[in-house]
Amino acid sequence: MNIEASPWKGSLLLLLVSNLLLWQSVTPLPVCPGGAVRCQVTLRDLFDRAVVLSHYIHNLSSEMFSEFDKRYTQGRGFISKALNSCHTSSLATPEDKEQAQQISQKDFLSLIVSILRSWNEPLYHLVTEVRGMQEAPEAILSKAIEIEEQSKRLLEGMELILSQVHPETRENAVYSVWSGLPSLQMADEESRLFAYYNLLHCLRRDSHKIDNYLKLLKCRIVHDNNC
Amino acid sequence: MKENVASATVFTLLLFFNTCLLNGQSPPGKPEIFKCRSPNKETFTCWWRPGADGGLPTNYSLAYHKEGEKFIHECPDYVTGGPNSCHFGKQYTSMWRTYIITVNATNEMGSTLSDEIYVDVTYIVEPDPPLNVVVEVKQPEDKKPYLWIKWSPPTLIDLKTGWFTLLYEIQLKPENAEEWETHFAGQQTDFKVLSLHPGQKYLVQVRCKPDHGYWSSWSPGYSIQIPSEFTMKDTTMWISVAVLSAVICLIIVWAVALKGYSMATCIFPPVPGPKIKGFDAHLLEKGKSEELLSALGCQDFPPTSDYEDLLVEYLEVDDSEDQHLMSVHSKEHPSQGMKPTYLDPDTDSGRGSCDSPSLLSEKCEEPQASPSTFCAPEVIEKPENPETTHTWDPQCRSMEGKTPCFHAGGSKCSTWPLPQPSQHNPRSSYHNIGDVCELAVRPTGAPATLLDKAGKDALKSSQISKPREEGKAAQQREVESFHSKTDKDTHWLLPQEKTPFGSTKPVDYVEIHKVNKDGALSLLPKQGNNSNQPEKPRDPENSKEYAKVSRVMDNNILVLVPDLHTKNVACSEESAKEAPPSLEQNQAEKGLADFPATPSNCRLQLGGLEYLDPACFTHSFH
Repeated sequence: MNIEASPWKGSLLLLLVSNLLLWQSVTPLPVCPGGAVRCQVTLRDLFDRAVVLSHYIHNLSSEMFSEFDKRYTQGRGFISKALNSCHTSSLATPEDKEQAQQISQKDFLSLIVSILRSWNEPLYHLVTEVRGMQEAPEAILSKAIEIEEQSKRLLEGMELILSQVHPETRENAVYSVWSGLPSLQMADEESRLFAYYNLLHCLRRDSHKIDNYLKLLKCRIVHDNNC
Repeated sequence: MKENVASATVFTLLLFFNTCLLNGQSPPGKPEIFKCRSPNKETFTCWWRPGADGGLPTNYSLAYHKEGEKFIHECPDYVTGGPNSCHFGKQYTSMWRTYIITVNATNEMGSTLSDEIYVDVTYIVEPDPPLNVVVEVKQPEDKKPYLWIKWSPPTLIDLKTGWFTLLYEIQLKPENAEEWETHFAGQQTDFKVLSLHPGQKYLVQVRCKPDHGYWSSWSPGYSIQIPSEFTMKDTTMWISVAVLSAVICLIIVWAVALKGYSMATCIFPPVPGPKIKGFDAHLLEKGKSEELLSALGCQDFPPTSDYEDLLVEYLEVDDSEDQHLMSVHSKEHPSQGMKPTYLDPDTDSGRGSCDSPSLLSEKCEEPQASPSTFCAPEVIEKPENPETTHTWDPQCRSMEGKTPCFHAGGSKCSTWPLPQPSQHNPRSSYHNIGDVCELAVRPTGAPATLLDKAGKDALKSSQISKPREEGKAAQQREVESFHSKTDKDTHWLLPQEKTPFGSTKPVDYVEIHKVNKDGALSLLPKQGNNSNQPEKPRDPENSKEYAKVSRVMDNNILVLVPDLHTKNVACSEESAKEAPPSLEQNQAEKGLADFPATPSNCRLQLGGLEYLDPACFTHSFH
């Protein structure tokens, strides 16, 4: 038995190792890797798609915030407390047109990617927590799920654009860490509600930022500032 | 002392307050910031509503600070936005940041602070309405007119860099309508409106909105008149259509009126009666049976109209009824003066034919309701003996003595007007026929019988093969023997018996020109010697050939001997119902079509014993 098993064992091991190696080397091929001449997805198409996604995400975020505020936190004055409380405020984002026009293309694109990455985790937890709520508000939950889904797609698209426009850029690891999960799980209803309010407020703002930045970049890169 | 001072102070204060109260002065009421708007995401303006001023001049000041900053700023511009406003210029405006703004109302009596408002410029964007709205009516050729609306974006909005994105909307309505018709125009700055009411005056308005924000107010209305030209075009078109259709209707009516009669006859052809070709009642009267019979057999008149007039349908006669000589009006020659009765030879059949609504019924003196048919056995002529043939015509003959048709039964008899100038008035001939009827009846007293599908008996070879014999005897023999074969006690009007028909004429040959579906043979009248020849001379090419019948087969098939000498070969036809001898159909048809010029109705095929196919004739009948 042992004599017969050993060759099988060896081959199995070899197979396993080779598979592992193969899996590691597999990376999703980007659409139109930089410099590809025959690529059919143009930069224009990528930007058009990205703008559509960002516009959609902001619309969803805005609706979600309005519905949440109207239902749960109207009149509590949370707005006065939700100041300077977004986790992405550490990212140096332009706040007017002039500032935006001074940022380089590459930095701008990296910035957008950073913001999107910063929201991966909060969105995930938002969905999880809302789903687990007693009497989960269906409208808010469905929007949260949709926003999470579309944000992932937008991130992929932005990474594609970045690889096309600036192929030399290494993968950007900068993003803001979100640590608001404990707040979402607080026992105190007021505190918990405020945590959700804050999260949704920041989400609405950041989604608007991304949308505006992308529209700026699209006109700058695709239409040469002549929209 | 102290008490005095205290009381004095209190008194003064009370006095002061009283004075103030009497004056109505008070600190200002609380102002309220009710609206903040940014038209371009680069500046914004806030407006407040002052509270009660307390009767004193009140100053308002606006103070703000931004989210994440501690430093409090005062409003940089109280003027641009109008009274009670604060305008924030570009350098003071930040996006994605909450502004905390308050207004302070101050007067002599005091000051009052408004509530704080939290403003994020991101969410207060409302542009100005679009400018330079221009509306035109465009009318391309051959197309409906449309409205072309153009506008330009409001000023101070940066669209080129993409900082700002505008979306437009149009509304329009006819002047007196109540509801507006709205159209979303996206980011474009022009628009076409296609559904218009002509002749109306339209009002057009445009407004715009940022990608995320509030709609602007509507631009001032633009009035435009839609011309109503196309209604006139429609009217003209309809008038011309009406006139054209009226003209067409008139033409159709006129054509129908002109040809109405002939069309009616096409659709509803008259029922023909049986006719005997070439039967000349006058001759009968005169007693010239030979001539009569020859006339019967040898007429060669061109058909005046339908070729089918040559044929007479199969006639049936009962035993029960007395035989009557029947003459039937077919198509009558108008010159004859007879009342024209349009008889369709195709429908000529049996007794009915004899009952044709012609003058026969009136004139025939025979007691019978239906005049009988003068029937004669079919005779087949031999080509070798052209001189002595009586043609027995079993068919009915027309009043005018039209050329007889030799029919075997049911064949149609077309009649032609008699060509002979000696032709008597049809009435007289009618009388003659009546005499003939009498004659027919008298000698025998037995009902005359038509040849019953004559081919059955008529075509016995023994009889037919004797046309060579000359003289009455021969004829009589033929007839008698023929007659003896008939089913019924036919009584033939033999030429020998009836003076009118008595004739020493030699047997003649008659060209078969048509066979009907029942196998009746229709013969062309003999041409040549007969004085009763049709006026129309025959062409030499049209000379007929005659075939000698060698024998008759079981199915009433005539077996002919071809005559190779003559140019044309006449076919003798069998008369059986569905006997299948072969015949050349085409000639038969041709013969029908152009009777006078038919060289050969049927051409015998090669071979010694030829068979005639009634099928070919059958086709011709159809």
